Amino acid sequence: YLIKLSEKIQPQCKKLSSKKVVKSMSARQKLEAQLTENNIVKEELHLLDSQNTVYKLIGPVLVKQDLDEAKATVGKRLEYINGEIQRYETLLKDMERKSEQHREVLASLQQEYQRAQGIPVAKA
Amino acid sequence: MAGNMNANYDLPQGVERLKEEHRKVVKDCKGQITHWKKVEKDYESLQERLVTLPDKLSYDIMVPFGPLAFMPGKLVHTNELTVLLGDNWFAKCSAKQAETLVEHRKKHVKNKLDDLHKVMKNFQSRAGFTEDLEKMTNDNGDFVDIKEKVEEEEAGTKGKHRVAHKPKSKPKEEYVVQLEEEREEEEEEAEGEDGESSKRVLSEEELWARLDELERMEDEQDERDRMDSTDTNGEDTSSSSSEEEKEAEAGREAQVNGQSQCENQASVSHIVQVNGIAKPQHDEEAKEDDDEEEEGSSLPTIYFCHTVEPKKVRINTGKNTTLKFSDRKEQKQQGKRKKKNGKTNSHSIQEHHKITSPSDIYRVFVDVLNGELVPRKSILKSRSRENSVCSDTSESSTADFEERRTFFGRAQSHDDATHSDASDGITEEDSPSISLYPNGRFEAFSGTVVEKDPLPSSIPHLTIAPPALPTIPERKQEEVSSEVPQEPIKRVSKFKAARLQQK
Repeated sequence: YLIKLSEKIQPQCKKLSSKKVVKSMSARQKLEAQLTENNIVKEELHLLDSQNTVYKLIGPVLVKQDLDEAKATVGKRLEYINGEIQRYETLLKDMERKSEQHREVLASLQQEYQRAQGIPVAKA
Repeated sequence: MAGNMNANYDLPQGVERLKEEHRKVVKDCKGQITHWKKVEKDYESLQERLVTLPDKLSYDIMVPFGPLAFMPGKLVHTNELTVLLGDNWFAKCSAKQAETLVEHRKKHVKNKLDDLHKVMKNFQSRAGFTEDLEKMTNDNGDFVDIKEKVEEEEAGTKGKHRVAHKPKSKPKEEYVVQLEEEREEEEEEAEGEDGESSKRVLSEEELWARLDELERMEDEQDERDRMDSTDTNGEDTSSSSSEEEKEAEAGREAQVNGQSQCENQASVSHIVQVNGIAKPQHDEEAKEDDDEEEEGSSLPTIYFCHTVEPKKVRINTGKNTTLKFSDRKEQKQQGKRKKKNGKTNSHSIQEHHKITSPSDIYRVFVDVLNGELVPRKSILKSRSRENSVCSDTSESSTADFEERRTFFGRAQSHDDATHSDASDGITEEDSPSISLYPNGRFEAFSGTVVEKDPLPSSIPHLTIAPPALPTIPERKQEEVSSEVPQEPIKRVSKFKAARLQQK
């Protein structure tokens, strides 16, 4: 019985960890999309010249921006996004490791459980 | 078998799952491809519009007013465009500049489309691979079932072998019994050949029971042999018995298939023991088994049979006697089996089995009678080297058998040897030929060396040519079966003459 309980606990832990994994995964995907987008923006800004006025949408307002400033801003945003992505990647790795550990523990518990089952059967 | 079956079942399931996943991915890819294609189309139409837009200073258009209404209005400043660069960034630019931007974006879209196409192709090829894998596994092209059929019949016949343990009486009885057994084996073989496929249906359990029975018989036989054999023989028997046991075990391990060919397994235990040649015999048997194995697998199954080496009756003829002639059965079976194995141990010994009189014994143990009075082994060897002529297979009988055994022991796997020999023996066996063979064989013992010739005669046998055995062409003898004894005249012994007279 104890074994059963412990086994039950294990899957729960795994599930919890897997939810986190899913969350972080989705966040990472978002960041990746932003990354590509900002890359495109950077390239397009490069195509423009200073004659064009650049605006930034802040809320309902279009705020005029300098082309160079815009370029710098976009560059910074790109770096920020890259950093976020890396952070999420490490998080995911850790979570994977944890889940694997959980799985191993679960497997061992299952084996014990089966053994325990086998012994009573033999006795019976 | 069960394990294999399970694996087979799992494989299709796994393959199905794989295929499903592949299909999913391919579907997703297709969906994305359609999406991006649409985007590309939009961009193209946008480009068109951009090109035509600055043509006029202003356009009269219906301006959307809210979600439900339109108002007539004008489109002015047709060259000034505010372009969304992405991520909440806008830029004011002319139509041409906008067009450049659009081109740039289209590039991106095309890249994405290309990637999606590649992914789709990859997955499609993967799906194809899984299908191929599935086919392969279903075909089991690489799998080969090794089945060993153990005939219960032999067990029965083996029982007959139990005769008085008197040395002298035994050989005869053994021979007689062996003959009977051989005949039975022949029959069995015939049946087996006809109904190979049908016989495979023997249940495993039956086969296992048979194997056990055969092993028991073998042990008993060994004991008897021990009793009869001389000291040297005793050693052989012990070794052979151990070998037999090993073979039996090996046979058991192998799957027993219904083919009659495996019948000989039981007889396998009858290891022909020639002074110190016991081992080779096993090899021969093993080789024979190989022959059997190779035959028939409808799936590629290798039917492993402990070929029954021609039992050599042990006769204490004085110096080297202990020759046990393998059952004819074995030989017959061997002959019938495919002879892939080059090693044809074809021990023509089969003929020897017919021992109805003391002269037969002498006939059998020709080597003993020869002036040389040397253990057959040596006789054979010397003979083989001396006689380049491929005498008929008759020699293959005991003499060859011994030599072959030695050879086999050296070189090949047991299976091959045994199979080939068995096959040889079998082919030769035909009853009518038996009488001839004994004569011929014995003559061969007289000193003819069995050479390759037997091979050609033995056709059924095979291909062999045990390369391993170097000097002795006798090996090739397996032919036992069909060759016409050519013995060198000079070797004919008085006994042979007597025999000839008799026959």
